Amino acid sequence: MVQNESTARYDQPKSGKTLNGGRKEGLLQVGVGRAIAHHGELLQGVFEGEDGRLHRGLVTLPLAARKSTVTFWPNGEGAIRCRPANRKKAARAAALTFNHLGYSKVGGDLTLESDIPVGHGYGSSTADVIAAIRAAAAAAGVILRRSTVCKLAVEAEEASDAIAYGDQVVLFAHREGLILEHFGGEYPPLLVVGFRIGRARPIATLRLPRARYDGQEIEQFRVLRGLTSHAVRQQDPRLIGRVATASARISQHHLAKPRFEAAVKLAEEHGACGIQVAHSGTLLGVLFDADERGVAARAAVLAETLGQAGFLGIMTFTVNVDGTLLQ
Amino acid sequence: MSGGDDFLTTYETPRLARLAPNLFAACFSLMKILPARFMLERAQAAGRLQPGGPVAETTSGTFGLALAMLAAVRGFDLTLVSAASLLDETLRRRLEHLGAKVHVIDDPEGSGAQSERLNRLKEILEDCPETFWPQQYDNPDNRLAYGRLAEWMTRTIGRVDCLVGCVGSGGSLCGTGSFLREVFPDLTIIAVDTHRSVLFGHAPGRRLLRGLGNSIMPLNLRHEMVDEIHWVGAFPAFASALRLHHDHALFMGPTSGAAALVAAWYARRYPDALIGVIMPDEGHRYQHTIYDDRWLAVLEGWPIVVPHEPDTLTQVEARGESEWTRLFWDRKALRTMLEAERGA
Ligand SMILES: Cc1ncc(COP(=O)(O)O)c(C=O)c1O
Repeated sequence: MVQNESTARYDQPKSGKTLNGGRKEGLLQVGVGRAIAHHGELLQGVFEGEDGRLHRGLVTLPLAARKSTVTFWPNGEGAIRCRPANRKKAARAAALTFNHLGYSKVGGDLTLESDIPVGHGYGSSTADVIAAIRAAAAAAGVILRRSTVCKLAVEAEEASDAIAYGDQVVLFAHREGLILEHFGGEYPPLLVVGFRIGRARPIATLRLPRARYDGQEIEQFRVLRGLTSHAVRQQDPRLIGRVATASARISQHHLAKPRFEAAVKLAEEHGACGIQVAHSGTLLGVLFDADERGVAARAAVLAETLGQAGFLGIMTFTVNVDGTLLQ
Repeated sequence: MSGGDDFLTTYETPRLARLAPNLFAACFSLMKILPARFMLERAQAAGRLQPGGPVAETTSGTFGLALAMLAAVRGFDLTLVSAASLLDETLRRRLEHLGAKVHVIDDPEGSGAQSERLNRLKEILEDCPETFWPQQYDNPDNRLAYGRLAEWMTRTIGRVDCLVGCVGSGGSLCGTGSFLREVFPDLTIIAVDTHRSVLFGHAPGRRLLRGLGNSIMPLNLRHEMVDEIHWVGAFPAFASALRLHHDHALFMGPTSGAAALVAAWYARRYPDALIGVIMPDEGHRYQHTIYDDRWLAVLEGWPIVVPHEPDTLTQVEARGESEWTRLFWDRKALRTMLEAERGA
C-alpha cells in the first residue's frame, strides 16, 4: 500500500515515465490520500491579481484534527465506484487525476473515511476531493505539485480551498484554483476556540449566492491582504486576528451570522486576538496567541462561557503550534 | 495596471523612510497620481469618461500635474484652470509639454481667484457636457483611492497607532485613516493644516505654505475622524523640509516638511506608538523657492528657530507664519466644534 500525503513522501516510479506523456498501461497500486479539514477562513473577499483584475479569493484556517482518508483500489478498466456512493465529486476528482497522469479508463473502488462534519463550513467536500486526488496520485506512484492538486480540485467541484498548501499561508482564488499571493511563510501560532451558531442548519456552499462587494469593501480587502502579509512575516497572531475580525465584519453584510457581535464581545473580554468565520458556513472561531502565557486557561474559560451561552459544536484546536505542526 | 503606463504606478507607490525607530514615512514622488488614476478609472468604468475623452479641472497644484501625466499617457484631452498667482512658470510649461490646455486667470491681488476659476470651469463643462470633472475636493473616489496607501502601510509597518498627514482635499488623510481604522479602531489621526486655511475653522487669508490648507471646504475632509489638528506656519514647514534633506537626504516638498515636523514630535512623545506619516511630493518643484537660499532670504521673518513642540491651544485661533499650534479636535464635526466655542 502506498501512502501519499505530505507526511509520507515517496520517490517517483523508477521507470522514469513522464507525466502526461501519452496513454499509460502502467500498473496501478493501492493508493491512500489524506486531506485535513478547515475551520472557515481568516480572510475572504476579492483581490487584484497580477492581471490587474479582481478575483475572489480566501485565506483558509486549517483544522488538522479532522480529516478525510481516501483509498483507491485499482480494478482493471471501467468506472470508478465510490463508497459511500454519494461522493461523486471525489470519484470525479480521482478520474481527473488519472487522466491528468496519462492513464485512460481506469477502473477501481474508492473508499472514503472522514470525521469532518458536513455542511457547516469545515470543508468536508474539498477534503474528500483532495484526498481522492492524492489517493489517485499515490496509486500511480507520484506526488503532485500543490498547484496541480488545487487545479484538479477546482475542476472536480467548481470551488476549492487552499488546504493542499498545508502550513503555507496563501491567498487562494478558490473558484479558479490559482494562488493570488504566497505570503511566504507559515501560519502564526494560534489557539482557536471554534463553535457554531446555535440551531443554524447545514449549508450547501456552492448554492450560496456570491457576495457582491462594494467599492469600499474591495479597497478594504487590499488593506487586509497587506496586514496578512505582515502578520505572516512577523508571525504575529494579534495582527492576523485583526484581519480575521475585519473580514468577518464585512461578511456580516453578506451572510450575517446571528449573535456575531455578542461573540466578538466575548472574544474581547477573554483577551483574544480576534474572531474568524466560515464565510459560507455556520462556524466562528475565537483566535488566541498560542504563545501567550495562560492562554490555555483563558481559552478553556471562554469555551465554557460559550457553552453556557448556547453555542454548539465547541472545539478547541491549535494551528502551527509545536506538537501539532501542520505538514 | 494595464497598458504601457505601468511606470506611473511607481509614482503612486511610496518609498519607506524610517525617520525614527517608531516613525515610518511614506515618501511619494507624486502622491496625487494615486487618486487621479483611481478617479479616471472609476469614471471610465461607470461610463462617465470615454477613452480619449475630455477632462477638465481647476487646480494649481500637484493634482493638475498628476492629471496631465495620466492624460499624456492615456490620451485624454485635458483642460486645467488656474490662477496667475498660483501657477509658476515652470509648472505651466511642464503642464503644456504634457499636452494639457492651461487657462490662467489673472488675480493681481494674489487671491487665488477661486470663484472665477470655478466659473470658467463651469463654462467649459457647459460647452462640452461630456467633459469629466474629477472634482477632487468632493468626489468620494478621492478617499477610496487610498486603500492602496493603507495596504502599503499595513504591509510595511503592520500595526499603526497613529497616522499623520496634511489636509488639502482631505482625501489622503481621511481615506487612508478610514481603511486603517477598520482594523485599528483606536488609531489616532492627526491632521496637519496651516494658518488662515478654512479647513478647521480659521478665517481665510493669505497663506505662504501651498499644497495643504484650503480656502473652501471640501467634502472629502471628514472632521469627525480627526483626533488632533496642527496648524503649521510656512516657516516651520520650510525649515522642517530643509532639515529632512540635511539630516536624512530626503528631498521632499514643504507639506512633507510640515507633516514630518508633527509626526517626529508625536514619535518622541509616544516612543511605544507606531506612527505612519504621509509625505505627498518631492522637492523638485520647489528648487526655486524653499530650496533656494536667495528666495528664502527675502522672506520677512525668516530664518526661524524651529520650535521643539507646538503651542497647545484651547480654541481655534490663527497665528503667524513662524508658529506651530495644535488643538485637541476629539473627532468632532466642524460645526459642533465652532458652536461649542461660540457657546463658551
Ligand atoms: C504637495 C501636497 N501636499 C499635501 C496635499 C494634501 O493632500 P489631500 O488633498 O489628500 O488632503 C496636497 C494636495 O493637493 C499636495 O499637493
